[in-house]
Amino acid sequence: MKHAHCNTSAHQVSRRRVLGTMAGGAAGLSLGALGGIVHPAVGEQLKQKEKQVVLLWLDGGMSQLESWDPKPGTPYGGPFRSISTALPGVHVSELMPQTAKLMDRISLVRSMKTEDPNHSSGVPKILRGHPKNRGVTYPYMGSAVAKLMGPTASNLPPYVWIKPGSGGFISKYAGFLGAKYGALALGDGKPPENLVRPESISERNANERRNLQQLLNERYAARHRPDWNEANSYVYDVADTLMKNTKLFDESLLPDRDRQRYGTHDFGRHTLLARNLLEAGVRFVQVTSYGWDTHGDNFNAHASRVPKVDQAYSALIEDLYDRGMMDHVLVIMMAEFGRTPRVNGSVGRDHWPNAWSMATAGTGIKPGVVVGRTLDDGTDVATEPYDIGAMFHTWYHALGIDSKEVEFMNGTQPLPVAHDDMEPIRELLV
Amino acid sequence: MRLLRAADLCCIFLTILAVLPRGELQAAEPLHVQIDRLIEAAAGEVPLAPRSGDAEFVRRAYLDLAGRIPTAAETRRFLEDSAADKRAQLTAGLLQSPEHPRRMEELFHAMLMERRGENEEWSKFLRLAFEQNLPWHRVAAAVLNPDADSEQLRGAAYFLTGRLVSEGAMAPVDVPGLTRDVGRLFAGIDLQCAQCHDHLTIPHYHQQHFQGLNLIFENVKTRRDVKFPAVAESVMKEKKEFKSVFGTEASFTGPVVPGGEEVAIMTFEKGEEFAVPPDSKTRFPGKPKFSPLSELAGGLASPENSLFARNIANRLWFVMLGRGLVEPLDLIHADNPASHPELLDLLARELAAHDYDIRWFLQELALTETWQRTSVLAGRETPPLTSYAVALEKRISPEQLFWSLGVATGEFDALRAERDAKAEGKPEAKPKQPAAAEEQTAEIPVPRSELEQLVAGSTSLKTLQKTVIDTFANPAKEPEVDFAPTVKAALYLMHDEAVQKLVSRRKGNLVDRLAGMEETAAVVDELFLSVLSRLPSAEEKTALVSYLDENTDRRDDALSNTVWALLTSTGFVVNH
Repeated sequence: MKHAHCNTSAHQVSRRRVLGTMAGGAAGLSLGALGGIVHPAVGEQLKQKEKQVVLLWLDGGMSQLESWDPKPGTPYGGPFRSISTALPGVHVSELMPQTAKLMDRISLVRSMKTEDPNHSSGVPKILRGHPKNRGVTYPYMGSAVAKLMGPTASNLPPYVWIKPGSGGFISKYAGFLGAKYGALALGDGKPPENLVRPESISERNANERRNLQQLLNERYAARHRPDWNEANSYVYDVADTLMKNTKLFDESLLPDRDRQRYGTHDFGRHTLLARNLLEAGVRFVQVTSYGWDTHGDNFNAHASRVPKVDQAYSALIEDLYDRGMMDHVLVIMMAEFGRTPRVNGSVGRDHWPNAWSMATAGTGIKPGVVVGRTLDDGTDVATEPYDIGAMFHTWYHALGIDSKEVEFMNGTQPLPVAHDDMEPIRELLV
Repeated sequence: MRLLRAADLCCIFLTILAVLPRGELQAAEPLHVQIDRLIEAAAGEVPLAPRSGDAEFVRRAYLDLAGRIPTAAETRRFLEDSAADKRAQLTAGLLQSPEHPRRMEELFHAMLMERRGENEEWSKFLRLAFEQNLPWHRVAAAVLNPDADSEQLRGAAYFLTGRLVSEGAMAPVDVPGLTRDVGRLFAGIDLQCAQCHDHLTIPHYHQQHFQGLNLIFENVKTRRDVKFPAVAESVMKEKKEFKSVFGTEASFTGPVVPGGEEVAIMTFEKGEEFAVPPDSKTRFPGKPKFSPLSELAGGLASPENSLFARNIANRLWFVMLGRGLVEPLDLIHADNPASHPELLDLLARELAAHDYDIRWFLQELALTETWQRTSVLAGRETPPLTSYAVALEKRISPEQLFWSLGVATGEFDALRAERDAKAEGKPEAKPKQPAAAEEQTAEIPVPRSELEQLVAGSTSLKTLQKTVIDTFANPAKEPEVDFAPTVKAALYLMHDEAVQKLVSRRKGNLVDRLAGMEETAAVVDELFLSVLSRLPSAEEKTALVSYLDENTDRRDDALSNTVWALLTSTGFVVNH
């Protein structure tokens, strides 16, 4: 039995998975976020063992015609030109000049064809990989990865979501996996409220409180089913871990150069935070940009928004490359659908799941590949169409998970991790 | 109030005969006996755990029926009581106490409004309904077809008006959402997928069920001519056309009652449609003669409607036993059978036959062995959840948590002491609470218990209540059924200043009381009785006595730390 007033951090070290030289405590790993302070040897081990994901979500549906699949000079092409990229023969919209220079490091899928033209039902479908309906609520990709791969050795929460607006813990994204695998949402990238211990509580008192609490929980656990006690104890462990990483959220500690490169707009700041969280070891980071549903004034809206995405995305790719993180971080940028080639009466484009594009890069993904193409006028996919299920298979394979074999267990019910009838897109995989 | 007819009595009697073992004609047994028999029979080979200990029992009873943990004194009193029927007496007493209606108001507010907002008229409606033990079908009818002329009932309209709101250009008024909620909360059926086509996996949810219900609410609008929540219906003239997204043929439907029939639309000569004509001066929108809401209320909120009966039986079972007989609670259909189909039918029938008397039903549940069973697992073998062989853990609502925090930390005691001290200092001043506290806005007084009056008179407690509820509640529209602890709540308990005050020494509170006690062993006993409503185990006692004795130089801190630890442990934040 523990002594109630033992030093908590000493106990915690023995419970955490700690990499070799970092026996001083989990705190050391996490400081790697800012300026690459991570010990090189540890960094090496991290790279080899721990794959991670960053998902940039453009909510509302970015127009493929104003980004990845421009059709200038066609009836539906719109006013923007296309520019050449680092990939010979491949063009993107002139709104993405920075990304164009890095095209040889990323890959595109231009032949996405999905079925749901609605936001409210379409967004969850894409984020869940739209598997076959088995009457259960599938987890969002972040929750699925949190379950399949767990947190990294950093022990930071495995699914963190950076978004404008409010934060909180979104347990419902975990679907049948259970609340614990939900998303920790950071509103405007800010840390959760009450993260810092007030002056009125000394460290000694804080440690004694936790030890006493754990003593009581152990007795409860011995006499009851494990799940509820685990859930209750878990959130305190996460709180502890976050408290050791408050520097991650301190924007004043960021080099000015980084802030300028990513952009001081929301998406830039949030993507920079995402990079830091990845460096610190968060398994799955999601960044959401809202406002892409341009049913009206599509061209002005995209002229304003796409360059911001271009700036932040290219900065992220560059940084991941420079830090040697491209070989263990999977990068995804997508939305719930694309936009109609036809321009409507409000100079807008409407929803178009029939033919749209997305970009992916990083671990397990062959760079510089463009999968498929659309018709000359962009109205449909001209080659083999791919549903989101195919992408999930591809991504799981890229992460080293055999999506055709691995299954979730929902109680006693085995469930495939991605759509039974689909396959990974082989040409995308290394 | 609907009287029990002879036909119903016959029905019940014959049904009861049907569930008895063949060949044994007995007088109708109490419901709680029948419940236990069905549970035990279904458990089969699975061994049933013994009854809960008294400490387990008293905590569960207070939480379930009074919405808070018992005080140390209440716990002691129960533990020391030697009456053979003390358990039945306790639950009966709690059901009659002034705290029970408060508990039920809080429970149904969260269940029906799902944290969409607060409204005084709605709160008054709910509270009075439970004070009077209004039959559930009367409560439901008031919600589905609000009566703007009744001061007691009119606030029920908030269920509708709170949902008939636009959340901006990107989120217009969500009538399908309202339709879905009516199906879920009053009939136990989630028709969401049936909006656009017949449900793909549930053959019994047809698109017409959704569209026929939706049409009723499309015809409803919020009244702007009165200050209290109120709705008005337009004149409905014709059926609605709808099409499946999978088909090309159009169908037509009039209003459809879930679990009931399509209602024929009554039409009138032009100028004759209104029972009360609109008044442009007062902006009264008029009351049509044909009222689909009235048809809905009559057809759905009825002892004849088996969906309605099963829904409330299932939900109340969930509240007391921790799991619905049908799970999820809003997916009752033939291919999602109840874990105990005969039991669910029995409960539904009995509730309907007893005029949907919720208090009676809860009493029966509280008398079962099933409800009284211990939640403690004896060995490694964990029985299936659906066997009820061991009692299930239950989520504590944010409201239950607030009241329990106040009781456990002695905050209410401290406030009473403060208030009494102030009153003594000013002999001319009247004590703050009158015999029956009155709401300022209402003519019908809404009874408020002593604890509620304490909170109402204290800014800090009012703030604490709001913060606790905000911190522990789910986001709006997410039912609070699963146990879902959050990092936000953990950090709140760890670092929030108001929480620190609760566990710090303050005249009259728990830490203060404990600091004044000499013997450490007695301190630990009092601590556990006050916070966890039980005595410590031998191991716990040893550990805590030694901790406190090793820290006599910083006794207050050690006491605060211990109180905090008990308050945040799983044994406190869960109803087990």
